[in-house]
Amino acid sequence: MTSATVEAGTFVRRKPPAGVRRRRFLLAVANHSLLIAAAVIFLAPFLFIVLTAFMTNAQALSPDLWPHPFRWHNFIDVFHKIPLWRYALNSLLYGGLATLFLLISSIPVAYAFSRLRWRGRDAAFLVVLVAMILPPQVTVIPVYVMWAKLHLTGTLWPLILPNLLGDAFSIFLLRQFFLTIPEEYIDAARVDGCGEFRILSTVVLRLAKPAIAAVALFSFIFTFNDFFGPLLYTGENPANWTVSVGLSQFRTIYQVQWNLTMAATLIAIAPVILLFFLAQRAFVEGVTLTGVKG
Amino acid sequence: MRRLAAVMVVLLLALTAGACGGSDESKSTSSGGSGDITFWTGFTDRELGVMEDVVADFEKTHPNIHVKVVGGISDDKIVAAIRGGNAPDVAHSFDAGAYAGAYCGNGAWIDLADYMKRDGVSEDIFPAVTQTYSKFEGTRCALPMLADAYGLYYNKDMLAKAGLSGPPKTVTELMDYAKKLTVRNADGSLEVVGLDPFNGFYENIAAHWAPQWGLDWTDESGKSILSSTPGWADMLEWQKELIDWYGYDDLVRFQAKAGDEFSPQQAFERGKLAMNLDGEWRVAFIAAEHPELNYGTAPLPVDDAEPDLYGSGYTSGSIIGIPKTSDNQDAAWELLKYLATDTGALAKMANDIRNVPTTSDALQSPDIKPDENFNVFLDIFGNPNTRTTPVTVVGSANQDLVDAFAAKYQAGKVDDLQAGLANLDKAIDAQLAAAGGGQVP
Amino acid sequence: MLAFLSPWIAGFTIFFGYPLVMTAYYSFTHYDLLSAPRWVGLANYRFLFQGDQQVWPAVSNTLWFMAVAVPANALFAFGVALMLSRARRGNGFFRTVFYLPALVPPVAATLGFVYLLNPGTGPVNSLLGALGIQGPLWFDSPQWSKPSLVLLGMWGVGNLMIIFLAALVDVPKHLYESASLDGAGSFQQLRYVTLPTISPVILFAVVIGVIEALQYFTQAYVASTIAAGSAAGATEGANSLGYPLESTLFYPILLYQQGFRYFNMGYASAMAMLLLVVALGVTVLIIRNSRRWVHVAGAAR
Repeated sequence: MTSATVEAGTFVRRKPPAGVRRRRFLLAVANHSLLIAAAVIFLAPFLFIVLTAFMTNAQALSPDLWPHPFRWHNFIDVFHKIPLWRYALNSLLYGGLATLFLLISSIPVAYAFSRLRWRGRDAAFLVVLVAMILPPQVTVIPVYVMWAKLHLTGTLWPLILPNLLGDAFSIFLLRQFFLTIPEEYIDAARVDGCGEFRILSTVVLRLAKPAIAAVALFSFIFTFNDFFGPLLYTGENPANWTVSVGLSQFRTIYQVQWNLTMAATLIAIAPVILLFFLAQRAFVEGVTLTGVKG
Repeated sequence: MRRLAAVMVVLLLALTAGACGGSDESKSTSSGGSGDITFWTGFTDRELGVMEDVVADFEKTHPNIHVKVVGGISDDKIVAAIRGGNAPDVAHSFDAGAYAGAYCGNGAWIDLADYMKRDGVSEDIFPAVTQTYSKFEGTRCALPMLADAYGLYYNKDMLAKAGLSGPPKTVTELMDYAKKLTVRNADGSLEVVGLDPFNGFYENIAAHWAPQWGLDWTDESGKSILSSTPGWADMLEWQKELIDWYGYDDLVRFQAKAGDEFSPQQAFERGKLAMNLDGEWRVAFIAAEHPELNYGTAPLPVDDAEPDLYGSGYTSGSIIGIPKTSDNQDAAWELLKYLATDTGALAKMANDIRNVPTTSDALQSPDIKPDENFNVFLDIFGNPNTRTTPVTVVGSANQDLVDAFAAKYQAGKVDDLQAGLANLDKAIDAQLAAAGGGQVP
Repeated sequence: MLAFLSPWIAGFTIFFGYPLVMTAYYSFTHYDLLSAPRWVGLANYRFLFQGDQQVWPAVSNTLWFMAVAVPANALFAFGVALMLSRARRGNGFFRTVFYLPALVPPVAATLGFVYLLNPGTGPVNSLLGALGIQGPLWFDSPQWSKPSLVLLGMWGVGNLMIIFLAALVDVPKHLYESASLDGAGSFQQLRYVTLPTISPVILFAVVIGVIEALQYFTQAYVASTIAAGSAAGATEGANSLGYPLESTLFYPILLYQQGFRYFNMGYASAMAMLLLVVALGVTVLIIRNSRRWVHVAGAAR
C-alpha cells in the first residue's frame, strides 16, 4: 500500500476510498470533455479558414462549407495578386533587424537596472514601466513628424532604428530574469577582477540564454504581427509593406476575394506557427517569465 | 491642336533653357519640361492599363519626358507621401470632395495659376461644376480630369415582367416601382430588392441623393443648413420609409450577401437588384463582366415637388495636381496639362474607362464612342442643375457626419428628426470651426 | 554604468520625453502636417469636451470594451488554464491548441473572424441555421459588433492562459492538502487557496488588459473597414471607421480618423493627451487598489 520509506513530518499518502476515486474519475472525465469541446471551438476558425482557402470565389460567397473542387491554385494566385514574397522579405527584414538591435541595446540596460546599484535606479525603472503603459498614440504624431523631416517615411527604418535605443518591454523582461541570477556568480566574477562589461558578456549572458531566447522570440513575433507601425510608416509605399499591411490591403481598392484572402491569411500565419513548433520550449518559458515573475 | 501647341512650347522653352544655362531651379516657370517624373493614379487593373496607354501617347509627343505610372494609389498615400517628402510629381485623387480643400488650402499641391496663365489655359474650358471642386477659396491647385455622374440603372427585363413601363421619374414612382420589383423567398428573406437606399450600401451616400431634392449643404457664409432646408428631412424620411418597408434587418442580411461593389458579383449585375443608384463607370463594368444584362440608364428620379430638376444629378470627379515636393514641376505640368485638357486623351479615357470627360471640347468630341446608356450620364453631367458637394479643409468630415446621422436615422435610432438635423448642423460647423482654429459655436 | 544605460537614456529622450512634450505643444495648435502648426490655444480642448459629437461614443465604446473584454479574457484564460492544470493526459497537445491562435497576426485573425461571422454566408451562421437558429448580424450589427470583437480577443488569450497555467501549477501542494484537512471542498479550495495565491497574475492580466483596451486599434480598424466594405463599396465619401453606426468607433480609432483623415493633427494631439491622463490614472488606480487583494508574500518566485 504505502511506501515504507516516509520522511518524518510529511503527509502520508494513502489510496483514497473507492467513492472518492469514482468522483475523481468522473470529474476528470468532465474536465477532459470540456477541454475537448474548448479545443474544438478553438480549432474551428482555423478549420474554416483552411477550407475557404481552397474554394473558388463564388463558393466562398455561398453558405457551402466544403470546397468543391479543391483549388490548390489559390495559393499560387495569391502570389500573383500581391507580391507576397516581397512583403515576407520586408517582414523578415523588419523582424530580424529590430530583434537584433533590440537585444544589443536592451541587455546592457536591463543589467544596469538589475545588477548595478546606482541612485535613482528604482525611480528610473518606474519610468520604464510608465513607458510600457503609454499608449503609442500619445507619442506617435511628433515621432512621425521627426521621421518625415528626415525623409525616412515610406520605409521601415522608423520602425527598426528605435530598437537600437532599447525597448521598454524587453528591458522589463530581461531585468526580471537577471534579478534571479544568484548573487554568488556575479560576486565571484567581480572578485576575479572582471569589469562589469565582462561580467555581463560572460557570466550573465550564458545564464540568461533562455530569457534572451524568449525575448528574441517575442520581439520577432511582435514585429511580424505589427500592423499599426508599418501602416503608418510604409502605408504610402507598397514596395515596403509587410505581410500584415499587405494582407489588410489585399482587399484591393475594389473588392474582397475571400478565398484568396483566406489563402493569403494562411500563408501569413504559417511562418509564425512553424516558429512556434520549432521553439516551443522557449515560448512557454518566455511567457511564463512575463507573468509569474512580473 | 493643343498637343502641337504644347510641343512648341516645350521646344521653345528648352531652347531658352539652353540659352540661359545653369541655375535651373526647376521650381521656376522658365525652364523647359524634361526628365523623369512619376505619376500616381488610383486606377487599377483594366482602367490602369488605359491610363498607361494615354501616358504612352503623351511620351510620344514629349520625348524628353519619361513618366513612371504607379496605380492603386489612395489619397491616404498621397497625403502621407507629401508629408514624408517623397510624393510623386503628378498625383491623381479620386476624391475631390474630400481632399481638394486640404490640397489647395494647405499648399500641399502647388497653385497652378502661373502655369495656366503662361500656357494660356483658361479655367473656362472646364464645365462650371468641375471648377468648384478643383479649387478652394480661390486657389486653384488642381485641374479636373474625368468626372463621375450618377444616375439610375434599371433592369429592363424585370420592369417588363412587372408590367412597368419606362424608368420612374419621381421619387414616389421610384418607391412604387421598388416595392413592385421586390421578390421574397419562401422564408421571407429578400431575394431581389427593388432599390436599396441604405446609407453606405454601394454608392448610397447622402451626397449622391441630395441633388434629387435640389439640396444645398451650406449657405453663402458656409454655415450648414441641413435643418433649415425642408428637403433634407424629406429625403431622409423617403429613404427610411422604403427601408422600413423591406425590414431593416432583412435588408442588412441581403446586403451581407450582395457581392462586392466592384466585383463581377455586384448585385445589380447579377440580377439581385432591380434598380440601383450608380455612376457612369458601371456601363463599362457591365460590358466587360455581364454583357448579357438587359438594362437601361436614366437620370435619378426627383422630388415630386420639383419636376424641373429631372435630368440632373450628382457629379464629382477626379482631380490631378502637382504636390509641392515635386522637383520637376515643369515636366509635371506638361503631363498635367495633357491629361486634363487634351481632347484626344480625354476621349480615349472616356471611351475605355467610361468616365465623363471634363472639358467642354471633349464632351463634344466626335471620338467618343456613342453608347445609349453612357450618353445619359453625359447629359446628366451637362445639366445646369447638377450639383456637387462643398469642398472643406477637413476632408470628408462634413459628408461623414451627415452619413453617420443618416445611417442612425435609418436604423431607427433618431427620435426627433428635426432636432437631430439641428444638432448635425452644429456638429458640422464645430468641426469646421475647430479646423480653422476658431471658436466652437 | 552610464555606458550601459546610454542607449536607454537616448531612446527615452528621443522617443518618449521629446514626443510627449511635442504632443502637448501640438495640442494647442492647428496642425495639418502639410504646413506649419498654428497656435490656437484651448480651441482643440474646447472641441474635445464640447464640440465633437463623436467623442462620447468613442469614450463609451472604449470603456465598454474595457469593462467586458478584460474580465472575459481573464476568466476565459483562467478557466482554460484550470482545466489544463487538472488534466493528466494530452496536456501538451491541448496546450498547443489553445496557444496557437495567439500567434496569428491580428490582421489575419480579424479577417478570418469577419469571414466566419459573415451574417449571410459565413460558416457560423450557416451552422446555426442548420440548427434552426437565425444567427445575429455579428460585425454588421451595432449590438453585436463589439461582442464579436470580444470573441475575437478571447480566441487569442493563449499568452494569458499559459501564464495562468504556470502560476496554477506553481501553487504549493501543501496548501491544498492542509485546506482539505480543514474540510474545505474543491470550490472553497479554489476560493481560499488558489485565487489568493495567483492573485499577482490576476493583477497582471487586469493591468495588461486595461492597457490593451485603451490602445485598441488594429482589430477594430480592420473589422469595420472589411465588414463595411465587403457589401457596401462607395469608395468615395463613405467613411467606414466605426461601422456599423459608430459601434466600433473606439477612442484610438477616432484619434486616427481626426488626425490622419481630417488633417486635424492638433486636435488628435489633444485627444492623445487626454488618453495619456486616463491611462496613467486608471493604471495607478488599479495598482493602488490591488494592495488589498493581491498576495505578494511568496506567491511569485
